[in-house]
Amino acid sequence: MSVLRWLFRYVRNEVLVLPSRVIAVVFCLSLLLLPLFTSNHYHYRIMALAGIFAIFAASWDLLSGFVGQVSFGHALFFGVAAYTASLLNLRLGMTHYLTIPLGAVAAVAVGLIIGIPCLRLKGPYLGLATLAFPIMMIGLIFTFPGFFGGELGISIKTKLAPTRLHDFYVCTLAMFSLGFIMWKITDSKIGIIFHAIREDEIAVRASGINTVKYKLLAFCLSGFFAGIAGAMYAHFQRVATPLSLAVLMSFQAIIWSIFGGIATIYGAIAGVYILFPVMEILRVVMEIRMLLFAAIVLLVLRFMPEGVTKWTRDRLERECPRCKVRNAFSRRECRVCFSPIRRELQKTTP
Amino acid sequence: MKRSLSLILAAVLITAMLLTLIPGCGPKVEEKVIKIAVVGPMKFIQGEHHWAGAEMAAEKINKAGGVKVGEEFYTIKLVKVDTDEIVDPDGAVSAVEKAITSDKVDFLVGGFRTEAVMAYTKMVAEDYQKIFMICGAATNELLEGRVDKDYDTYKYLFRVTPIKSSDLVTVSVLMTAQVAQTIREQLGIMQPKVAVLSENLQWNRVLVNMAPAIMKDKLKLDYVGTWDVSATATDITPELKAIEKAGAHIIYTIISGPLGITYARQWGELGIPAASVGINVEAQKDGFLEATKGYGAYDYTLNTYAPVKITYMTIPFYNDFVKKVGQTPIYTAGTYEAIYLLREAIERAGSLDTDAIIKEMEKTEKVTATGKFKFTATHDVQWGPGWVTGLGVQWQDGKMVATWPFKWKPDPEKAPTLEITYPGVVPYKLPPRVLEFWKQD
Repeated sequence: MSVLRWLFRYVRNEVLVLPSRVIAVVFCLSLLLLPLFTSNHYHYRIMALAGIFAIFAASWDLLSGFVGQVSFGHALFFGVAAYTASLLNLRLGMTHYLTIPLGAVAAVAVGLIIGIPCLRLKGPYLGLATLAFPIMMIGLIFTFPGFFGGELGISIKTKLAPTRLHDFYVCTLAMFSLGFIMWKITDSKIGIIFHAIREDEIAVRASGINTVKYKLLAFCLSGFFAGIAGAMYAHFQRVATPLSLAVLMSFQAIIWSIFGGIATIYGAIAGVYILFPVMEILRVVMEIRMLLFAAIVLLVLRFMPEGVTKWTRDRLERECPRCKVRNAFSRRECRVCFSPIRRELQKTTP
Repeated sequence: MKRSLSLILAAVLITAMLLTLIPGCGPKVEEKVIKIAVVGPMKFIQGEHHWAGAEMAAEKINKAGGVKVGEEFYTIKLVKVDTDEIVDPDGAVSAVEKAITSDKVDFLVGGFRTEAVMAYTKMVAEDYQKIFMICGAATNELLEGRVDKDYDTYKYLFRVTPIKSSDLVTVSVLMTAQVAQTIREQLGIMQPKVAVLSENLQWNRVLVNMAPAIMKDKLKLDYVGTWDVSATATDITPELKAIEKAGAHIIYTIISGPLGITYARQWGELGIPAASVGINVEAQKDGFLEATKGYGAYDYTLNTYAPVKITYMTIPFYNDFVKKVGQTPIYTAGTYEAIYLLREAIERAGSLDTDAIIKEMEKTEKVTATGKFKFTATHDVQWGPGWVTGLGVQWQDGKMVATWPFKWKPDPEKAPTLEITYPGVVPYKLPPRVLEFWKQD
């Protein structure tokens, strides 16, 4: 009873006070309750894939958004894990309970391998260097087609889950849990150091922090989460193909993250859950699908340069000029310090 | 008051009666429909021909009364499924699942890019147990290792066009033998030199590896090397110059993608004195000569359809297709045959039960536009003399003409008198520059 009372109080005092949190809760609940509204396997499929891609996009945001290590080749982690999982499943008969974590471990190893030479690089040089790795991996796949299956890829025996409904719940719950873990990492002391490295690496080093260690940690963490997504994807599609390493896959993660709002984790997740189903809906106008997609992205970035989530939050909430706590737009005084919140003040806040 | 009420009532009744006359507004008459998904990249010629072939078949069947299932007649309704699989093979699986779960299709025909077809046929067979008739992907592994190894799971998959890739190899080798023979006869070169030029893709690896032995041992040619080029290369001058330097009389091509245009254009532009023969899918298309600025003339490639009398159905189908679409049909237009094969199997089964239809489909023996048709044990196209053979087509004098099979002796030892030439097939011509160069030499 006391737990329920605590929960009720928590929801009333911490969730319902902020529109962005209400939206997040409504989104999570509606996702979990989706099977009440549809039993169409195609809808489950789209939302399951959205869950996998949300983990992938959030992992890019963790590395590039938070630490500033802009990666143009994030599909490397995704693809390496997909291939590792497929090979372990096909050749050694391991189940997905083993192949998914081992795929993620392989992606971490790759994160270390590319992290070390890339640590000296910055900005566009780092971006281009990371872009090269998945291309090299694709070259490797085509060089040893007998082992990697060439362009046909490697088929997987074990499905991610027995039915589409199970697929949907596995992917959604994985997205919730891994998204939450990533968000908590960015909210921790490590996250603060990640932020600081992005803003001023020299200052961080001057403070006695080993930035090399933290940047490598970021590569490994990001690789781990992208790897889980990649291995899940391979089991979901039941095949790992060079497409999982394609440049398009890397760029999609960037587009989703920037669209939703960079350096937030939840922005990347929101970006996927908006854009991925939109792309599916646009199948009805297949001829101009990509054109419309590009137009939507461009318009959103023009009018919401910080991404959809930040733009929405700024419209629905205001920051208290005194204690910096966020309040619902309808409030005239801060919910914590009761200072008056005036729109003019909000506008001048950087 | 009473009068106005009666007027309103009458107006409502009349409106209701009139509404019943409008299609879709009347009492619902249950229409018996068989929904067939036509799956392909609809923005590309492959998908356009998938759709056109299927549409032609559906129109003809519906016009003739539909599909007879037991005592009832069903109308065929086609559902266009644009998979965009050339650009986004992963997304193609979603498009196919949408067709099955949202559009509730009963059968599927089509498919083009092997990676995509591999993935969605796996889903169709394993998860939805629907019959999928592949019309556009040649890779052996789409059926081999599936239907034979795990029949219960993959019995739903059949191939209609083209013939499987290993049979394509056989035909292309026979075409190469024909070119070599022409060189021997017209140039007096008894052991022509052959170079292999292939795109670096998985589907042709077996062929690329086998090619040297086939050329040397089977065709008695002097093999000078293999040039494996990136499938997306836009300039292959160094490779072509190397082939020229190697003194090749024949270039045996194994190209399925846009590299075929780059190759044919540069082959003509550089005036490489070697006859081009083999697989060049781009050369099967109507716009090939324009795309290669005319330099692709005399390129010789495999094909499925041409205005020659393979069977009594070939030329009528060819003409109808050209009349409808304004283009020569490519192999993806095999959706036409697929729907007819499906109709016959359903009618023979007398029900829409999938297993019963599969049983009947396996018994199929039917004359089609591509030849006499039956399925092998792996649900593939039976290739060979008397069955579907495929064609060789060459660009002669600005036109695509069939040049194989021409006086083809499938088994000179056991059946020395058996010689196959489809009416309408013309002799192969060596490119004039090849003739001039090697005669001077």
